Amino acid sequence: MATEQKFNERNIEEYFVSDEPFYIPTSDEIDIFEAAYRQRVPILLKGPTGTGKTRFVEHMAWRLSEGLTARNPGDKALNGKGEKLPLITVACHEDLTASDLVGRYLLDADGTRWIDGPLTRAVKFGGICYLDEIVEARKDTTVIIHPLTDHRRTLTIDKLGSTIDAADGFLLVVSYNPGYQNALKDLKHSTRQRFVALEFDFPDEEREAQIIAHESGCDSETAARLARLGLKIRNLREHGLEEGASTRMLIYAGRLIKEGVSQRRACQVSVTWGITDDPQVQRSIDEVVTSIFA
Amino acid sequence: MTSSDDPKQDAVKKTRKELEQFPAPVLERYEIALEKLTGRLADETCQLWAHEGLEIARKTVRSWEAAAEFFDASVDVQRQLPSGQFLKWAKTGTSLCEDSPSLAVAFFNSSPRAMLRLRPRYIDDWANVCRALYRGTWKSSALACRLFEATPDLLETLSFEEFCHFGEFLEILSRRSYDQAGDALAAGSILFPKITGDVDRFINLAQIVAEKSWRETAVLFDSATAALVELGTPHRAPLISLARRLVITGVSDAARVLRDGANTVNRVPADNRDRLLEMTDSIAAVSAPSAPEFLKIVPEILERVTFDQMGQWQAEGIKTARESEEAAVAYFKLESPSSQEMLDSLSSSIELSRVRDVIQMYSLALTGRSIDVQAAAQLTEKNIGWFQGELPTTEGTTIYMPSVINRYTTKEENFGFFKVISTHQIGHIEFGSFAFDFNIPSNLFGDLRPRLPGASELKASKKAEEASRNKTAKKPSVVIFGHEAPVEREPVTTEPAAEIKPPVFLTDMSRFFDLFKERRLALDAFTVLESSRVDGSIADLYPGIMTMYTMVREASLDSRPDVTELPAREAMIEFMIRVSLGQVDEMLVPSQHIEAALKLRKLIRQVTNVEAIVEDAAEATIRAYSILIEIKNEELDDDEFEQLEPEDEGNSGDDDDVVDHEQVIQQFMGQYSPDGEGDSQEEGSDDQEFENEGEDDYTSPQDVDYRGEFKPELSQLLSQMQMMENGEMSEGGEMQQITQEQLEEMMKNAPEMEMEQTEGEEGGDQQVSEMIENLMKELQKRDPENQQFQPGPSQHVDEDGGPLTATEPDTYTYPEWDFRANEYKPNWCMVHEKIMADGEPNFFRETLADNQGLVAQIKRQFELVIPEMYRKQKRLEDGEEYDLDAVLEALIDLRVGVSPDEKLYWRRNKNERSVAVAFLLDLSASTAEAIDEAKKPSDDWGAPDDPVEYMVWLRSRRSEGLRRTYKRIVDVEKEGITLLVNSLEALGDMYGIYGFSGYGRENVEFYTIKDLDEKFSDIVPRRIDRIAPLHATRMGPAIRHATAKLAEAEARSRFLFLISDGRPQDRGYSREGVEKEYAVHDTRQSLIEARDLGITPFCLTVDKAGHDYMKTMMEDFSYEVLSDINLLPKRLPQLYRNLTT
Repeated sequence: MATEQKFNERNIEEYFVSDEPFYIPTSDEIDIFEAAYRQRVPILLKGPTGTGKTRFVEHMAWRLSEGLTARNPGDKALNGKGEKLPLITVACHEDLTASDLVGRYLLDADGTRWIDGPLTRAVKFGGICYLDEIVEARKDTTVIIHPLTDHRRTLTIDKLGSTIDAADGFLLVVSYNPGYQNALKDLKHSTRQRFVALEFDFPDEEREAQIIAHESGCDSETAARLARLGLKIRNLREHGLEEGASTRMLIYAGRLIKEGVSQRRACQVSVTWGITDDPQVQRSIDEVVTSIFA
Repeated sequence: MTSSDDPKQDAVKKTRKELEQFPAPVLERYEIALEKLTGRLADETCQLWAHEGLEIARKTVRSWEAAAEFFDASVDVQRQLPSGQFLKWAKTGTSLCEDSPSLAVAFFNSSPRAMLRLRPRYIDDWANVCRALYRGTWKSSALACRLFEATPDLLETLSFEEFCHFGEFLEILSRRSYDQAGDALAAGSILFPKITGDVDRFINLAQIVAEKSWRETAVLFDSATAALVELGTPHRAPLISLARRLVITGVSDAARVLRDGANTVNRVPADNRDRLLEMTDSIAAVSAPSAPEFLKIVPEILERVTFDQMGQWQAEGIKTARESEEAAVAYFKLESPSSQEMLDSLSSSIELSRVRDVIQMYSLALTGRSIDVQAAAQLTEKNIGWFQGELPTTEGTTIYMPSVINRYTTKEENFGFFKVISTHQIGHIEFGSFAFDFNIPSNLFGDLRPRLPGASELKASKKAEEASRNKTAKKPSVVIFGHEAPVEREPVTTEPAAEIKPPVFLTDMSRFFDLFKERRLALDAFTVLESSRVDGSIADLYPGIMTMYTMVREASLDSRPDVTELPAREAMIEFMIRVSLGQVDEMLVPSQHIEAALKLRKLIRQVTNVEAIVEDAAEATIRAYSILIEIKNEELDDDEFEQLEPEDEGNSGDDDDVVDHEQVIQQFMGQYSPDGEGDSQEEGSDDQEFENEGEDDYTSPQDVDYRGEFKPELSQLLSQMQMMENGEMSEGGEMQQITQEQLEEMMKNAPEMEMEQTEGEEGGDQQVSEMIENLMKELQKRDPENQQFQPGPSQHVDEDGGPLTATEPDTYTYPEWDFRANEYKPNWCMVHEKIMADGEPNFFRETLADNQGLVAQIKRQFELVIPEMYRKQKRLEDGEEYDLDAVLEALIDLRVGVSPDEKLYWRRNKNERSVAVAFLLDLSASTAEAIDEAKKPSDDWGAPDDPVEYMVWLRSRRSEGLRRTYKRIVDVEKEGITLLVNSLEALGDMYGIYGFSGYGRENVEFYTIKDLDEKFSDIVPRRIDRIAPLHATRMGPAIRHATAKLAEAEARSRFLFLISDGRPQDRGYSREGVEKEYAVHDTRQSLIEARDLGITPFCLTVDKAGHDYMKTMMEDFSYEVLSDINLLPKRLPQLYRNLTT
């Protein structure tokens, strides 16, 4: 008896963004991304958490696959084999080693077997490889990507002793959060100067309200207030908060409100408590919440 | 003549003869006394008496005086004593005379009056009590004499027994100091009559004090005189007993107990006083040192809680006292957190100091600007134009709040009120009350501002008009006020007026108020309208706060004056206020002004719209003014008022302006040429004009409590300065220096100043000029141009010359890195290591007390460090167990034929913390710079160079009362260090604190506040207190010296933590151009040296411009640039934790 498959599993090469991800551009980032993609210039997305970096990449992957490019509508970007452009996302963490990206040998009953890492697969298959929060990764990983980001467009796998040329559709996109202070973690210049950088920041109040309303499904009045809350809390950045309230956070609050949680409580659990552990800052944010929400 | 005839006469003669040997007064007195006594005394007695006199006279050379006194006093004394006692008295005197004739003199002298109060059998005792004070010296005899002399008066209130005790006390005290005893005697004579009944008790107390700490007796008598006298009889005894008990345990000085006790008892309602003293007693029973603290703090406690609640607080304190004496003292001093928490939980009031941080952050969130929150009294103290100490207000950059809110019975409501009043003040900032720009068009009105003439223009044009009329009858010179050019309006378009300079206004607000003749009225109208606008925006943006807001408004309405009591114009203003506070029903207005009222109401509604900006409030003000000015301020009868219908909902929508523009313009043009009056009103005659028939002087309305004071003009002036600094004032960027004259001019015209000037009539001028001076200072403080750090006069000393040699003790030489030559200059700098002088421990204590929340938080954070010591470490060559991932990889590598990694183990590393850290504080002169608004006073440059002299200089400055009210960078550094040190002690790391400064390469000063291997002791807080700005910043040598110290420390990880406020600079270290780089490179080199020795350097700077050079200086090193210096105390421990774990 085959077990019924209750989950949706697919190879990373087969992950295509098929439905349009909701994204409201704040300036010309879509055009820039498209231009960069056409020229295969790697892209660096900078900005605080929850400002829509990941969503933007998804949106662009979809957009390029759908051929909605600004200059030549209908001109689909393909992976070089005439297929759609997959999006391969790797969330970087402090234990992420080069082999986690490139691949490793595994032990098998018959001996060892080589398994490609996500980056290798993206390079071979042709697609957007998105390394989220690149600074979190160990230093050796950044060196791996260097040859991929210049004219060479190659990936060297030293354990195999081979070099792979990237498929035509391949593009490396990385993101990082310069954060509140760049003191302890920063991207090396040799790395960062290989990318076209797009800066992300929180959208303005009106746009953010739209986003919140769309993503959470709450009414526009509530969304407007949530956006205002976000704006006010961001004023505390660098004065007790390391990061401002992310749009994502506000969306969660909106979702809870939609589920019937009281407004103040929803903000408390999804914004106030999430954003800081400092009781005094929490208290101050609570005061802002209770001023904005009845 | 036969001598045998009359033996009595013989005896007398004989006596006379004998007495003749002595100076004349003796005999004279004898004769006088004899005459009176003859007949009253038996002959025999009389002879004995005379004989006694002779005895006395013969005793010593000077004793004749005593004899004379004796004879003198005898007459009166004899009257009161039977003869036996009389002679005994005489004998007593004689024996005193043996000791000292002066004693006898005093004895005799005071006897007649003393005998009135003294029982004859006590005569001897009396003499002995006094005599006991005599110890053969001049001083002692003087004291004894004084006691004799004082006796008659003393005995009026004291029993003899009490007198004896007093004598004993004096005797004890006199062993220490005759002067003190003498003073006590004098003070006692005054005090005792006032505290009859408690004298003995008091003397007893005094005696103990004299025995324990005699120096304090004087103070004791002083405070007793001040305190006990006022205190009612029933509480005197218990208080004295209490003091006595405390003194016996040796914990406190009695004087303080009496003083504080009396003060406190007097402040407590009569029926609670006994209870209070009982409470104190019960505290004393468990912890004697706590009792005086309790007595002292009671008034403060009672400001916050009721007496019964205080009982609970006290009971909790007693519990604490059973556990620890020290804790109890802190508790009753209200210094311990548990004490404050207890009080907090009991009290329903809200103290500004407790919520200040929250409100500050709340304001920051709302406005996006760093807004300070201060007690309202502080603004009043500055004396720059605000006078109400307890009303909320703002000057555009800081909000000022009452220090305590105790309006409601619950904490929530009180805080709610606090939030309402802060939100309103923040609203003024958030919604731009002070960003008023004369030229910005309003959103909702047809702009009248550009079309109206200013007062100064009107006057100018009038002069011009006259001038031209005098010359020739030219064509009638019509004054046109720029109808067509609203923005770039020429002040006066007529040609002759061009000669007169257009008026210069310091603020747009001033320019606006210049439009009005009755500025006070205009300001009041603007205040109502602008406050309504702010309230309106708050209601829209912050619906959450509205419940409380409405409640507060309703309470405000209840306290408004009755409209019908007011004259017409004031009634109309009051009407506006009531509308703005949300009153709808029972709105009374003068019947004849119903129309006006409808219009005013509409104006309020208009500005309450969210769309309204400050310029709308200004436009509305013009309209309101033009309506109000037409209303005579006459007294009205109650029946001349009628109720105004509430407006119907739909009606608010019509957009018609309430006034006719052309009419208003005409009205404003005509302001200064009233029909009936001559041209006499040239200047300053504003006041007298409207005292026409039946009109009252116009008085401004009572402030709305929750809105507080509103001073748009001053606030705009003050906040403009601040905004320029933040680069928010783009177009007005090059604002010229404000002169004193300009300020005076502004103050003269500012409507918000008028009231105060008339109030403080006498000395008013002086007050005003004082205020202007203060305001000038305040402005200078805020002027960003003045804030830049300017290094002192650069005495250029030749930096050439050779290496230095350290000959004196505690001096060290270090090389310096010359990046141009790419080599070291050997022994180039001389470091002088000194130990920081001791200061007061208060700073340390107070800082901890003020930041309890933070202290607790840091402590918590540091506690988390301990588990972190057990972190799992992967990829080790040896350890507890295999790391499965690593093993797999290794196996695979083996199979594939690649050489495997050997790091296959992991270990739960019991990471013994072995940390040594040296904190290096920048004590350069620039740390004296005030934070944010204030600039350090320029005379700081007069500081002597020598640190010792500097300290003396600083002390003298402090004692001159030139206390700093602003906070300097160095103060924040101190705070940070204090908090950190406090927590570091818990962590057990080895740490040293050093400060450095200096001038020139041969004088790098290195101050030890706490050495690495020094144990923390009381002296460290005292040294921290002395941390103060000194000279320049030659970082390199200081880092090298600290590195040398760290290198000797035995610790696995060593850190050098540098806290600075700017780039390194010193004479010959950082001059123009390339030399700037020199300092940066040397510093960098010294850091590299440190790293080579296995020390991790970290630099924290508060220099906002730090990013540029820090990039170079700290490349590959960790550093942080703090954007807000106030974060330092908080951030420092965080960084420390991150760095060392």
